[in-house]
Amino acid sequence: MSMTNSYIFGKSEKKIGGRLLKIDQLISGYGSVQILNGANMKVEKQSIVALLGGNGTGKSTILRAASGLIRSWKGTIEFNGEQIQNLPAHEIVGKGLVQVTQGKDVFPAMSVTENLKLGGFILKSKQQLSDNLEKVYNYFPRLNERKDQLAATLSGGELQMLCIGRGLMSNPKMIMLDEPSAALAPQIVLDIFKNINRIRQDGLTVLVVEQNVRMALLLADYGYVIKDGVINVEGDSKKLMYDESVKESYLGGTKANV
Amino acid sequence: MFNKLRIGKKGENIIFGTFVLLYIGWCVNSPDMNIESLKSVLTIGLSVGIIYGLVALGISLIYTGLDVVNFSHGEFFMIGAFAGLTMFNLLGNQDWIFNIFPDAYGWIIYVVCLFTAFVSMGLFGVFIERVFLRPLTKKGGGYTVAGMGIIICGFGLSVVLINVAYLIWNPVAKPFPAELGLPMEIGGLFLPITYIWMIVVGLSVAAGLWFFLNKTKMGLGIRAVAYSKDVSNLVGINVPLYISIIFGIACAIAGIGGTLVGPTYQVVVFMGYIILMKAFAAAVVGGFGNLPGAIVGGFTVGIFETASSFYISGSHKDLYAFLLMIVVLMIKPTGFFGVQVKMKA
Repeated sequence: MSMTNSYIFGKSEKKIGGRLLKIDQLISGYGSVQILNGANMKVEKQSIVALLGGNGTGKSTILRAASGLIRSWKGTIEFNGEQIQNLPAHEIVGKGLVQVTQGKDVFPAMSVTENLKLGGFILKSKQQLSDNLEKVYNYFPRLNERKDQLAATLSGGELQMLCIGRGLMSNPKMIMLDEPSAALAPQIVLDIFKNINRIRQDGLTVLVVEQNVRMALLLADYGYVIKDGVINVEGDSKKLMYDESVKESYLGGTKANV
Repeated sequence: MFNKLRIGKKGENIIFGTFVLLYIGWCVNSPDMNIESLKSVLTIGLSVGIIYGLVALGISLIYTGLDVVNFSHGEFFMIGAFAGLTMFNLLGNQDWIFNIFPDAYGWIIYVVCLFTAFVSMGLFGVFIERVFLRPLTKKGGGYTVAGMGIIICGFGLSVVLINVAYLIWNPVAKPFPAELGLPMEIGGLFLPITYIWMIVVGLSVAAGLWFFLNKTKMGLGIRAVAYSKDVSNLVGINVPLYISIIFGIACAIAGIGGTLVGPTYQVVVFMGYIILMKAFAAAVVGGFGNLPGAIVGGFTVGIFETASSFYISGSHKDLYAFLLMIVVLMIKPTGFFGVQVKMKA
C-alpha cells in the first residue's frame, strides 16, 4: 500500500510533530443559513489531511471559516496554539494559515508574476519576495515559462498551479487547498498532487478538500468525511479507503480500485 | 479598470463613425468655422475635458473599488475648490513669500493650494467613507455593498455637503485670483495660462495615478481589491483599509480638479452638481469603471460640448454632454473601452 503511494507521488516520509490546527465544535454558515453544525478537526504538523464530502456538506465552509472569510458563530479554531476565529482574514494570513482557492480565482488582468507578488503581499522585504518567487518557479517551472503572460491566458492546470504558487508566496505554515483537481485532466491532477506531496516534504502542512476521493485518500495521511455539517467518519486514510460507509457514500459502492 | 479597446462589432463602429462624420459636417458648415476658432475650441475643450476626466476618474475608481456610483462626488470637487481658495486667501497677503520668491510668487502659492486641496480632500474622503458609508456595508460582511442604501446615501450626502458649504461660505460666487502670469502664445493663439495649467496638471495627476496603480505595491493591492475582495483578503490585504484608501484617492483627485477650475471660472457652492453629471457622462462615454477610458471620455465630452456650443448653439451648452452619452449608450453601450479581460474557461 505505501509502496503504491510513494510510487505515485514520490517519496513520502512522515515527520509528524505536534498539532497545528484544531477546530472544535465549529458552527457557522452564510447569512442566516447554518451550514456547519459543530465540526471537529485536528491537523498534525507536516501531514496531509483530506477533507471529503459530497456537494453542499460544508467542506468549503470549514475552509472559509478557518481563513476568516466568514465568521464562526460558535466554537473555536486554534492555529499554532492561538485562537484565530475572531481575527480578520488578512491577519490570519499573517499567522501562516493560507487558503488556496480554486483555479478560477486568480486576477485575470494581471501577469503571472504580479499574481504571485500579490501572494507575497504581507512580506516586508524584497529579497524574501524574490526568493519565494524562485521557490515557486522551482515547484512549477511552467509558471516561469509564462511569467509575463496575463493570467487570463493560462490553461486550467496552469491556473491551479498559479493559485497554489500564490498561496506559497507568503511563507505559510499550512495551506488549505480547495478542490485542486476540479475540472482538470487526470495527468495534470497527478502532476499537481505530486507537487502537493513535495510541498509537504519541504515542511508545510496541507489540508486538502477534494471530491476526487481516491486520489485524495492515496495522497493523504489522515482523512475526514463530512456530512450535513458534522464530521461523519474519520481515520487513517488507508483505513478510510476500505471503510464500507465511505465507499457507499462517496466511492460509488464498489471496491476501491488501488 | 484594466480593459482593452473594444475592436469587435463592426456594425457598431460603422454607425458610430457615421454619427461622428455627420457631426463634423454640421460643424464645418457653420459660418464661424475657421482654423482660429477650431484651435481655441480644441484648447478650451481639452482643458474643460480634463476636469471632467479627473472627476470621472474618481467616479470610476470608486465604482471599481466599492461597486457603487458615488453621487456625492461633485461635492468633493466643490469643497476641494473651497479648500484651495481658503489656502489661497491665507497665503495671498503674506509678504514673506513674495520676498523669498519674487518671480514665481503666484505659482508657488497655487501649487500649495493644489496640494492643500489634494491632501485635505483625501482625508475628508476617508472620513466620509469611514463615518457614513462604512456602517451601511456591515450587512454585507464589512466590505461588500448591499443594495440601494449606499447610493441613496450618496444623494443625501450631496445635499448635506452642499448645505454645509452654504453655511460656511454662503452662496455668493467667489473669485480665485491666482496670479499665474500672462497669457501664453501657442501656435498663434493667446491662451490664458490657467488653461495650460489645467491640462498639464490634470494629465500629470492622471499619469501619477497610473504610475501609482501599476508600479507600486499599494497600487497592486488596490487593483487586487478592485477585482475581488475575497481573494484579496486571502492573500493578506487589509480590504477595509484599502477601500478607504481608494475612496480617499478618488476624493483627493476631485479636490485637485476643483482647485484647477477655480481661477478660470469662479468658486460657487453649486458648482459640484453639474460637474458630477458631466463627469458621469464622461465615465459612461469612456467605459464605466475604466480609468484610461475616464480621461478619454472626459476629453471627448469636453471637446464635443465646446464645439457644439460654439458651432451649433451656445444657449444649450449643458445639453450636449448628455446627448453624447445617450448616443454612446444607444450604439456602444459599453463605451469606448468597455470590455473586461475575461477568463478563458
